[in-house]
Amino acid sequence: MRIVIAEDLYLLREGLVRLLSAHGFEIAAAVASAPELLEALVEQRPDVGIVDVRLPPTHTDDGLRAALRARAQVPGLPVLVLSQYVEQLYARELLADQAGGVGYLLKDRVFNDEAFTAAIRTVAAGGTVLDPEVVGKLMTRRSRAEPVARLTPREREVLALMAEGRSNVAIAQRLFITEKAVSKHAAGIFAKLDLAPSDDDNRRVLAVLAYLDS
Amino acid sequence: MLVAIVLALTIGSIAVGLWLLRLDGPGARPVTALAARWLDRRRGGISAAHALLLIPVAGLAMQLLGPGNWFGWQAVDGLDAAVIDLAVAAAAVVLIFRSRVWAATLAAAGLLVLGVYGWLIAMFWPGVPGFAYGFSDLHNSPLPAPLWSDALQGSLLLAVGLWLAPRVMRYHLANPSDPELAARARQLTQRVQMLTQTRRDVVDTAAAELRRIERDLHDGAQARLVALGMSLQAAERLFPVSPEAALALVAEAKESSSLALTELRDLVRGIYPPVLADRGLADAIRALALDAPLPVELDIDLPATADQASRAGLGGQASRAATGGQGRPAATGGQGSGASTVELPVASAVYFSVAEALTNVTKHAGARSVRIQLSHASGVLRAQVTDDGCGGADPAQGTGLAGVERRLAAFDGILAVNSPPGGPTIVVIEVPCALSSPKTSTC
Repeated sequence: MRIVIAEDLYLLREGLVRLLSAHGFEIAAAVASAPELLEALVEQRPDVGIVDVRLPPTHTDDGLRAALRARAQVPGLPVLVLSQYVEQLYARELLADQAGGVGYLLKDRVFNDEAFTAAIRTVAAGGTVLDPEVVGKLMTRRSRAEPVARLTPREREVLALMAEGRSNVAIAQRLFITEKAVSKHAAGIFAKLDLAPSDDDNRRVLAVLAYLDS
Repeated sequence: MLVAIVLALTIGSIAVGLWLLRLDGPGARPVTALAARWLDRRRGGISAAHALLLIPVAGLAMQLLGPGNWFGWQAVDGLDAAVIDLAVAAAAVVLIFRSRVWAATLAAAGLLVLGVYGWLIAMFWPGVPGFAYGFSDLHNSPLPAPLWSDALQGSLLLAVGLWLAPRVMRYHLANPSDPELAARARQLTQRVQMLTQTRRDVVDTAAAELRRIERDLHDGAQARLVALGMSLQAAERLFPVSPEAALALVAEAKESSSLALTELRDLVRGIYPPVLADRGLADAIRALALDAPLPVELDIDLPATADQASRAGLGGQASRAATGGQGRPAATGGQGSGASTVELPVASAVYFSVAEALTNVTKHAGARSVRIQLSHASGVLRAQVTDDGCGGADPAQGTGLAGVERRLAAFDGILAVNSPPGGPTIVVIEVPCALSSPKTSTC
């Protein structure tokens, strides 16, 4: 699996390269600024781009903008955005094109390399991985949009775990229910959110988006 | 004739007396206080002694104007002269009492004019009009000898005039008497008082913030890093003996580093919210609304900003300059580039004010929904937070809104709270500020 890494701090960039190489990923490019990132993403077409939100030249959200531009040019280009902080606002912008293949995680999630590499694979496969901190905020707030408000507490739990990028098997393990029960809840969620039967991955992306917008 | 003069003098004296009584008015100050005020000689000021110099000037003026022959006009020796003398004396006395400054000013001018006049007489008599001068009566003894006395008197008057004039000038320059200028001076004084107050508040607030940050770092991240180091040290020692125990310690170290990061993240949010740094006020408020636990309706009406361009998929082309709005020229007139932004210090103050208002709504109002409006018009940035909660909010209670008020005051901003019992509560924040065009850079 080919990866492009964009991180301006040398230590972190080299750390990521070492970590991912050790897990058998191929590093197509490791860059340190937003213009380089955009070029690498569009030209290398990696399986996943791992992007730090804050990059030169302006040291604001250049990384995020470059990722969004790359996805505008190459629809669905998988990007996993890493940041020292997570914002629902940015999560929505990343998911807004409904194309999936988006991850948005706190940088320290890298400490758990199994979960991190699993997230990379999920994103590469077109899934959506949101940081538990983003999802946690969604859980605590009162739902305002009507369809999401109709979900049962259990369905909301399942949807939250879906947003974190977990598979049905993982959700079943986490909630101590059978995989079949998870599928049933998922079907209930899709039905209540008016998501017509289609590719399951795509429906998951749309469901997460609806959850974010609620 | 003599009777008439005496009569006029009496009437004049009474009039002047009444005038002076009027000066003190009802509840007149004691004479001692008046005297003290009169003799009060402030630094660089005009004292009573200066004003009293008008008396000799008036005396000389009376002598000159009375019997003088002024280009054909000549007062009849008698009533005319007496009336003129009386008028001059009264005017001088009134002026000395009313305004010692103007009395001194007139005295200085008179001394200079009379001094020059004395010399003119000495040099050009009888070509110069006028008649009597000081103690020399040219009319009665047109001899050349007294002319030297005139020159002497002129020199004396000139000397005193030259001594007084700079003092008067200095006073007038330092104390503009124009009513408009005086009003402006008052305004400026008030402004300085206000700036002194708000500056003190800002310094206090900043110091308190730094203290809080220091404490948070000390008790939080720093302590976690120490724990992390200790865990790693123990793991290193245990590794040859018991690799499993060492691994458990390494896991513990990882946990410590995660906690340290979380604490640092929270700390940074409190200092300067990342979205505000990245995107500016409008998006920071949007992010705030998204994170609120209750539904927030947003109504943001700021001129198109760089972040909106990025939302339309144009990101990168219009990214914002990295730091600091200070010193940037304010946008004048229309927004040529279509990109403008609120100066960062103001944006930060408004952001935290809105955040505080929103926190209050969540905590106390029992509201079902909130509406946040943000707009900029006529050079004023305005934010309004309206909830449908129970009302009864009092900015005087609790330090939250008071802190917001202090913070806004540094920018001449204001906070207004309207919260009748039963609700709704409306919090309005207004800060005068110009929108600036950010420097653009390509990504």
